[in-house]
Amino acid sequence: MRVLVGIVALSLAVFAGAVRPAAQEGHPLKGSWIGTWGPAKSHSNDMVLILNWDGKSISGTLNPGVDDVAIKNATLNPEGWVFRFEADVKEKAGTTLNYVVEGKIENLAFPNRTVSGTWKNQRESGKFKIGRQ
Amino acid sequence: MTFRAKGLMAASLAAIVVASAAVAAHHPISAKFDDKKPMTLSGIVTLVDWRNPHVHIFMNVRDAKGTLNWAVEIESPIELQQSGWNAETLKPGDAITVQGMAARNGSRQIWGNTVALTTGSKRLFALTPMAPVAPLAARPSPRWPDKQPRLGPLPGGVQGYWGFPTSTVLAEANVPMDAYGLLRNVADAPKVAPMQPWALALYTERQKRFLQDDPTYINCKPPGGVRQFQISYGVQLVEDRERQRVFVLIGGGNNNFRIIYLDGRGHVGQVGGDDDNPLYYGRSVGKWEGDSLVVDTRGFNEDFWFTNGGVPHTEQLKLVERFTRTDFDTLKYEVTVEDPGAFTRPWSGGWNLRWVAGQELPRHLCQDNRP
Repeated sequence: MRVLVGIVALSLAVFAGAVRPAAQEGHPLKGSWIGTWGPAKSHSNDMVLILNWDGKSISGTLNPGVDDVAIKNATLNPEGWVFRFEADVKEKAGTTLNYVVEGKIENLAFPNRTVSGTWKNQRESGKFKIGRQ
Repeated sequence: MTFRAKGLMAASLAAIVVASAAVAAHHPISAKFDDKKPMTLSGIVTLVDWRNPHVHIFMNVRDAKGTLNWAVEIESPIELQQSGWNAETLKPGDAITVQGMAARNGSRQIWGNTVALTTGSKRLFALTPMAPVAPLAARPSPRWPDKQPRLGPLPGGVQGYWGFPTSTVLAEANVPMDAYGLLRNVADAPKVAPMQPWALALYTERQKRFLQDDPTYINCKPPGGVRQFQISYGVQLVEDRERQRVFVLIGGGNNNFRIIYLDGRGHVGQVGGDDDNPLYYGRSVGKWEGDSLVVDTRGFNEDFWFTNGGVPHTEQLKLVERFTRTDFDTLKYEVTVEDPGAFTRPWSGGWNLRWVAGQELPRHLCQDNRP
């Protein structure tokens, strides 16, 4: 039992270290973000967003991997720290859903800042929240 | 003992121990304490916590409601030692009176501008050392046999380092701010540097939070960029001519050092395996132009504040620094900042550093991420 407790404690310690966000004192959106989006808390999906800033525009990838999607028309309004972007997601049926996502940066001063807000496409809408990793 | 949150009362004290002036403190006092809330406390020392970055004295203070333990934050061990203090100067049981300013968050903490013994024999301590007095006549810069200026001491001469910068802030306009880069008026933020809108908004936010999120102090991040020439404890420039490089030893940088390569190499791949890894001190290459060492540094990461006050930068930051020893005791530091990720155009600034003769470079270690 003592060994088990030790393993659990060690695992938690390692996990805690692993999820500590890296410092980021430059552009507040740059980096990796993980969170959820969905119609409701009880029905939500994971969301990963990789963002970059080149000095002129914000670029990024939604859910990197086999079905990743490049974001477009991304803007950050420093007045209120409102982040907005769009993404065209192609469905298996061939139709394309245009997602419009808008959220606000919270806890700006901290590495583990978050963005929370709303999303919508031609069919539905919901909320999302992502945190910087 | 009584607790009096008002006015200056120390004049009547029998014996005085003076703590160092606030201007030399290691990190922004204003981030934690409010200079508009003067406070005087009298009580009994319970503990002296002699550690970096700031020493803390804990004291019991009695008022009408009972006895409460307060934390008194004072200068760093280095500065206190330079002023004649040591870890034994105050002991548990000593009765003291502290003048200073209260914590912004209302907690039982006070910054101690002065700490006075209320009993006992008279003990006076000097203020924090000021910059060395300039000689009546400027001495010429020391030079190597090939006439190139030396950035360190004369061969066989007394040791020394560069410290006491004439300015500890970088701004392209003369904007009122304190030694830590905290603006007197936040509305002046656009005058500091030609920041892009996001950078200006972030800088303004940092200012409104009294620089309390400064990663150099809360996370012991290295003082990269121009900051190594702004913070307390100075720098030592060690020239290794045989290997064509200059080491910048940083007194306030947790035993960090920076290397300036003079052998003509590029900015990439100076250290095996880190070609694509942005660094706190970037990658510096330099060359002599007349009597000035001109250093081009790129490859910075974004994990720190490159100048006091929190002007943001990105990985596109490029610094061109000019080091000119204008006379034996003066090092002129000029820098041009380029970062198309954060600024709308290049901008520049600079200051002078004084030669501190006969002293070893202080070594300050950020400790346990203490505030």
